[in-house]
Amino acid sequence: MDFLMKQCLLLIALLMVLFSVVPSAGAESRVVTVGVYENPPKIFTPDKTDTGEPAGIFIDIIAYIAEQEGWDLKYAPGTWTEGLDRLAAGTIDLMPDVAYTASRDQIYAFHSVPVLSSWFQVYAAKGSNIHSLLDLNHKRILVLDRSVQHDAFLQLSQGFDLDFTLVSVPDYHTMFQTVAAGDADAAITNSFYGVMNAKKFGLHDTAVIFSPSNLFFAAPKNQSKHLLPAIDRHLSKLKNDSQSLYYQSLRHWTAEPVRFRLPEWVKITGIGGILLILLSLGSGLLLKHQVTVRTRELETANHTLRASEQKYRDLVMLANSIILRFTPDGRITFLNEFGQKFFGYDATEILGRQVVGTLVPESETTGRDLRPLLEDISRNPKKFERNVNKNILRNGDRVWIDWTNKMIADENGEIKEILSIGSDITPRVKNEIKIYQLNEALRQEAEILEQRVAERTAELREAKEQAEAADRIKSAFLATMSHELRTPLNSIIGFTGVLLQGLAGDLNNEQQKQMTMVQTSARHLLALINDVLDISKIEAGQLKVEAKPFGLPSAIEKTVKIVSPLAEKKGLQLKLDIADTVDTITTDQRRLEQIMVNLLNNAIKFTDKGQVALYCRKENTQYVITVADTGMGLREQDLEALFQPFRQIDSGTTRKHDGSGLGLSICKKLLDLMGGSISVESTWGEGSRFTVRLPVHPEE
Amino acid sequence: MNNTLLIIEDNEQNYYLMRFLLEKNGFKVLGAETGKKGIEMARQHQPRAILLDIQLPEMDGYAVATVLKNDPELQKIPIVAVTSYAMVGDRERILAAGADRYIEKPINPETFVSEIQKFL
Repeated sequence: MDFLMKQCLLLIALLMVLFSVVPSAGAESRVVTVGVYENPPKIFTPDKTDTGEPAGIFIDIIAYIAEQEGWDLKYAPGTWTEGLDRLAAGTIDLMPDVAYTASRDQIYAFHSVPVLSSWFQVYAAKGSNIHSLLDLNHKRILVLDRSVQHDAFLQLSQGFDLDFTLVSVPDYHTMFQTVAAGDADAAITNSFYGVMNAKKFGLHDTAVIFSPSNLFFAAPKNQSKHLLPAIDRHLSKLKNDSQSLYYQSLRHWTAEPVRFRLPEWVKITGIGGILLILLSLGSGLLLKHQVTVRTRELETANHTLRASEQKYRDLVMLANSIILRFTPDGRITFLNEFGQKFFGYDATEILGRQVVGTLVPESETTGRDLRPLLEDISRNPKKFERNVNKNILRNGDRVWIDWTNKMIADENGEIKEILSIGSDITPRVKNEIKIYQLNEALRQEAEILEQRVAERTAELREAKEQAEAADRIKSAFLATMSHELRTPLNSIIGFTGVLLQGLAGDLNNEQQKQMTMVQTSARHLLALINDVLDISKIEAGQLKVEAKPFGLPSAIEKTVKIVSPLAEKKGLQLKLDIADTVDTITTDQRRLEQIMVNLLNNAIKFTDKGQVALYCRKENTQYVITVADTGMGLREQDLEALFQPFRQIDSGTTRKHDGSGLGLSICKKLLDLMGGSISVESTWGEGSRFTVRLPVHPEE
Repeated sequence: MNNTLLIIEDNEQNYYLMRFLLEKNGFKVLGAETGKKGIEMARQHQPRAILLDIQLPEMDGYAVATVLKNDPELQKIPIVAVTSYAMVGDRERILAAGADRYIEKPINPETFVSEIQKFL
């Protein structure tokens, strides 16, 4: 190439010298300033060491035209954008290699016959895997500042939803350098630059080819326009002659350097053909690339569409829902696989059949007629967007299905088809029914129970009333009995006493002994009557206890004195221990004495040897009176019932001891009324301890 | 000195027992089987004291006591209720009706007379 270039430059230089010396006749000599920038092979400054004159296809052509027209060419080097600015400002007359665009047409003037046709192409580093437009996603792409390809590329990529970074760079050389260095992924250049330089930078051309454009010389809008028709005229001629300078220049700047010299005639005849082949090859390649790219893009789109279609198909066919489509007159047009399996029909069996009579029974078991269901749906689609009804399987089983229905209407609003998606809710409904039944059963049960409770309450109330009435009768009876028993007892005890006193004359020893027995029996009978009377009084709530202060020690001493003859008689030691702190008590003296006499009598009664002791001490706000004996004691199982009425231990015919069996229960009831308590500890065969606790002063 | 006591009592044995004990101790004893007759005799004989049973036929002891205590001529005569009524409130009701003392049956023959004497 160097050789060819030099040869050419030499020729140009010679011609220029020749024409500057001998201007052609009839041509007005004038200075034409041409902008120059670096865009080999179209236009560039070859080597600083050389003449510094620009070279390239555009330069060859304009130099030829200038020679023909007698223009004096001047070159104004700069960058692409500087050139455009200068042209707009009118400081240069022509800017080479300007692609025609509508927007540029507003600013600059263009001639009509294109100098070159070009396209833009994306170049990337070898092995980068960038081949098509889609490969540019997420890539850093370099583009010439303020160039047509900038806008064109954005327009091209718009429909593909790509995400890339477009970086503006002042010249192609920098672009290729940057991509080669790996600082960017791709560069957009025109085809001429790419073809010339890609290999040098280790880049390859991609299939991304776009915006074929025509390249011209541009002139300022308001001046130098007269240069443009001359350019057109010469270009037309040059392009028509395959051996013209135009084709020579193309061949010269775009071909690979030739290793061997061809004879001149071969060169000359070959160039045109080769160029034609190249051009057709180029455009063929261009088309092929475009087809490839388009095919790829279409394939991608198709793939996406197919995938989404497949997804829909899968969804419909494999969904765990019944998907059913039918016409408004009830003809089934579609039932998905799940639905087929669920209902027990093959597609061939069910498609085209009526919904009612196959999937929908003619009537529900509730008696609801389902035949007009479809009419209802068509008449009021809104109401049937959600519909729960009974369906029937092929085997006759009835199922509950929750349907979501979508009416598919045509442009006139006429319902064309109904799409129903259903879920089997039979287990849920069955459970609900079961729950309802259980609830109902429970409710009935509860009602029965409530009624029973009411009945029982009434019965109990009645029983209570009866018991209370019986109690009142019992109390009245006891009071009467007590009175009626006392009256004869008065005579028995009275006359016995009179006789024993000798008031009715002397008695002999036997008479005395027997009358004493009558007296003892009569007194016992009286005690019994008194106890019964006490219990009935207490139980009838008729017994009131007094609360008056008195000296507790003297009351205790008095009771001990009452029982001491009995203890003496049995040879028992009667021990009394009253603590110094024991003083006044506020309670019912007569009843407290009755309790203590009772406890002491019991202790003496059930003790055959040893002692009976009464201890009294003060504990905080209460007095504790303990009656302890060394008698027979009590069995554990008997302790609980000890304070119940009529519960003398060993009751029945084996009873050894006298007594009503009421004493302890009277004591307990009296102490309850007095705000006190009684408890017992005992060991069988070793003795008992009865403990009475009474407040020093009763609570208000 | 008036040593006469009136016993109003419908039970023959009880009347006899009291009368026996009192006469043994030097009292003169009059007896009435009903309340009505008792009031009559009290007016007639002006006894030193009246021993009154409560459960009586026709007119009970409460009514008798009320009549006696509301009669200006008789109200000074002390009344000793001698009764088998031992239920709660009996004692209070009898005293409220006008009795001056209350002795529960069965009486103690050893202390009965001394109790009456103490009261007079």
